[in-house]
Amino acid sequence: MHIMEGFLPLYWAVIWWIVALPCLIFGIYQLKKVLEADREALPLLGVTGGFIFILSSLKLPSVTGSCSHPTGTGLSAVCFGPWITSVVCAIVLLFQALFLAHGGLSVLGANIVSMGIIGPLAGYIVYRSLRDTRVNMYLTVFLACALADLFTYVTTSLELALAYPAEVGGIVSSFVLFMGIFAVTQIPLAIVEGVVLALVFKYIVSLKPDILLRLKVFPEEKIRVARSEA
Amino acid sequence: MYEEFLEDIAQTNGLREVNTYLKLVAGLGTILLCLLSSSYIAPLFIATVLSGAILILARIDARTYAELFIVPFSFAVMSVAVIILLSGGNDVYWSWNPLSWFSLSITRESINEGFFVFCRVIGGMSALIFIAVTTPMTDLFVVMRQCRVPEVVLDLAMIIYRSIFMIMDQLVQTYQAQVMRLGYGSFRESIQSFATLCGSVFIGSWNAGEDLIRAMDARCYSGKFAVLGETRPVELSSVLAVAAFLMMSSLVVIFSGNSTLL
Repeated sequence: MHIMEGFLPLYWAVIWWIVALPCLIFGIYQLKKVLEADREALPLLGVTGGFIFILSSLKLPSVTGSCSHPTGTGLSAVCFGPWITSVVCAIVLLFQALFLAHGGLSVLGANIVSMGIIGPLAGYIVYRSLRDTRVNMYLTVFLACALADLFTYVTTSLELALAYPAEVGGIVSSFVLFMGIFAVTQIPLAIVEGVVLALVFKYIVSLKPDILLRLKVFPEEKIRVARSEA
Repeated sequence: MYEEFLEDIAQTNGLREVNTYLKLVAGLGTILLCLLSSSYIAPLFIATVLSGAILILARIDARTYAELFIVPFSFAVMSVAVIILLSGGNDVYWSWNPLSWFSLSITRESINEGFFVFCRVIGGMSALIFIAVTTPMTDLFVVMRQCRVPEVVLDLAMIIYRSIFMIMDQLVQTYQAQVMRLGYGSFRESIQSFATLCGSVFIGSWNAGEDLIRAMDARCYSGKFAVLGETRPVELSSVLAVAAFLMMSSLVVIFSGNSTLL
């Protein structure tokens, strides 16, 4: 779920923008470097962006009335790292606000922080810590994608709780309440998303492994082994 | 749902020929005013005027406009209910304390707060939809370039914009083919079919994207899209209309002060 226009008070909207901006600037710097080194990455970045757009527009109405959706950011975090992903996400979120009236402009900063920065960062940390171990490659991608999705929702709940703390128990109890509402739909969704993206990754490994090697996503050996098994 | 993006509507709306900056000033200005307002009156006023502009000036179908509001509306109702239950006040109507650190209550103050946030969302959403249905993305790319958005970001934005439509086309085709072959019969099958769908469309549109870049390279693409910006004239009447609207909204914000519902 994206926080929608007008939901956050002005000062929280500004604070999240201030948090998001340095990450975006660093992302743009990295993006420039990647594209200078390898122009072939541009179509892949475009397609991942398009996929994030479409996956996160699949709004599934949840029991509680709010809506949940997959985020699709994990795959991009694995391939390009969290900072470039934040730039891709910022563009996607802007498009969603303007194409589908999904999200908003003043709250764009807050949405970038949850879906573009914290989520992918969580996924990336999982991926980096498992990459060079003997854990199965697809399991790594599954965990990275599922956690990127989950952490997006944890961050969104935190953003909502900070803006609207409860009278009794303050931020903690409103955080628990917002989390509880999302958990019903989001935990199964995160698992499904992880499975789907891991299968997409399997497609990439079997059909176009060269780009994964050039971006050094996984060690060559692992990819070769996975290909020979398939 | 996806067959008709707001983009298609935006290309043919009644305010298409109005200067892009003017529309952005109207939209972004009202979003800011909604956030600055501390009473529910100003956002409602803004929502009424902008809905009028969307329906009458931009000639958007009322049904389409209502459908756009449904999702944010239902989400707003839900979240506002949470805010009402969580925030406290002196005039307690109902309360429930199951745990020492957790309590729910409905008070006069919390209803006021909830209603205020609800109106702010409605005001903000109408401003957002106003920008969305009157300004096509292609016009915004021109504005972004003039505002010195880094070249590489703009480039990526246009590629993503293009691939959204490529992916959409393939997705709809493949999905319909899968449905006709009963690909979504059971939950297990659905997951399997959905993953195949994503995988094949991902690879397919990636190939299409590579072809696109190759074709552009062959035509001397150097990492910079040439955007033909049509400069639309700034008409005095529309400037006056936007100025009057923003002035009036600001006055409403100032004079409504802290007035509350109850």
